[in-house]
Amino acid sequence: MSTRAMKGRRSGMPEHARSDREPTPAEAGVTLISRIVIDASIEDVWREITKTDEPQLAMFGAQMHRLTLDAGSPIQMRTPDGVFTSVVGEILEADPPFRFSHTMKFTAYDDPYCRVTYDLREIEGGVEFTLTSEAVPPGTKTLKAMQRGGDFIVKTLQQVLERGRPATGTRAIYAVMGWVTPFITPKRCKSELWPLEANRG
Amino acid sequence: MDDMAPVFDALGSASRRRILDIVKARPGSSVGEVAVQFDTSRIAVMHHIRQLEACGLIVSRKEGRTRRLFHNPVPIQLIYDRWTDEYGGFWASKMADVKYALEGRANEHKSDERQTKRHA
Repeated sequence: MSTRAMKGRRSGMPEHARSDREPTPAEAGVTLISRIVIDASIEDVWREITKTDEPQLAMFGAQMHRLTLDAGSPIQMRTPDGVFTSVVGEILEADPPFRFSHTMKFTAYDDPYCRVTYDLREIEGGVEFTLTSEAVPPGTKTLKAMQRGGDFIVKTLQQVLERGRPATGTRAIYAVMGWVTPFITPKRCKSELWPLEANRG
Repeated sequence: MDDMAPVFDALGSASRRRILDIVKARPGSSVGEVAVQFDTSRIAVMHHIRQLEACGLIVSRKEGRTRRLFHNPVPIQLIYDRWTDEYGGFWASKMADVKYALEGRANEHKSDERQTKRHA
């Protein structure tokens, strides 16, 4: 078993989401792809999706927490005040500034882990940015969230990098989310229940 | 050039819209799986797929010897964003919901009528 697979076993991920073996159709889950061209440098796009020093406006204003960019490192998305953790996972691959891949699950749901990959490619007119979600469990809340979230993330990333900030409507949504999050977020998402070291192999 | 023009051109064909429906319903469909659902030649379907791919409505990736197709919702989302703000989008969505509900009910009613006639 590969090191990656061994670490995955400890972090509770299904084997097909962490190993190189071909998944069966049933366990392969759903694959979703969202792609956009962003008029920015590839380095700026890379920084925007991997930065930890400020909230990522394309990722619903959440702040990334991770130990390193190495494969096996735990990764989480938390509210800017750190009180709630919305997403947990483990880095699978980081090849700056071309590819970033990690497993993920929403802490609010009991669904299994899936895998997200960000591919960056320099083309005429900017950077072709592709968000691929794989092994998304069919018929789950995670699938619904990923279907809604994929195009939102890539279009907001484009707005942030090309205009310096998300569109007015998105900023209004973020403001409302900031007010209501403490009241509507389940207690199971509290960061004290999801220490960053939990996945560490 | 308006970069939305190729998207509108691609959506102007009923066959290409049907291909999008098929790929959206079954992400990862192969070219062959799409082609068998048309009476036209595989070459013609591949031509449509290429046009959908060129404007970003379909993203394909190679898995072994198979080319798998995925619907990319972003180009249509950008068209939506260009002419619709959040407020207008909310009410347009509600009106669309009413249309789907009423048409769904009307279709059920027609289906009931057909069954009644059959049994009469």
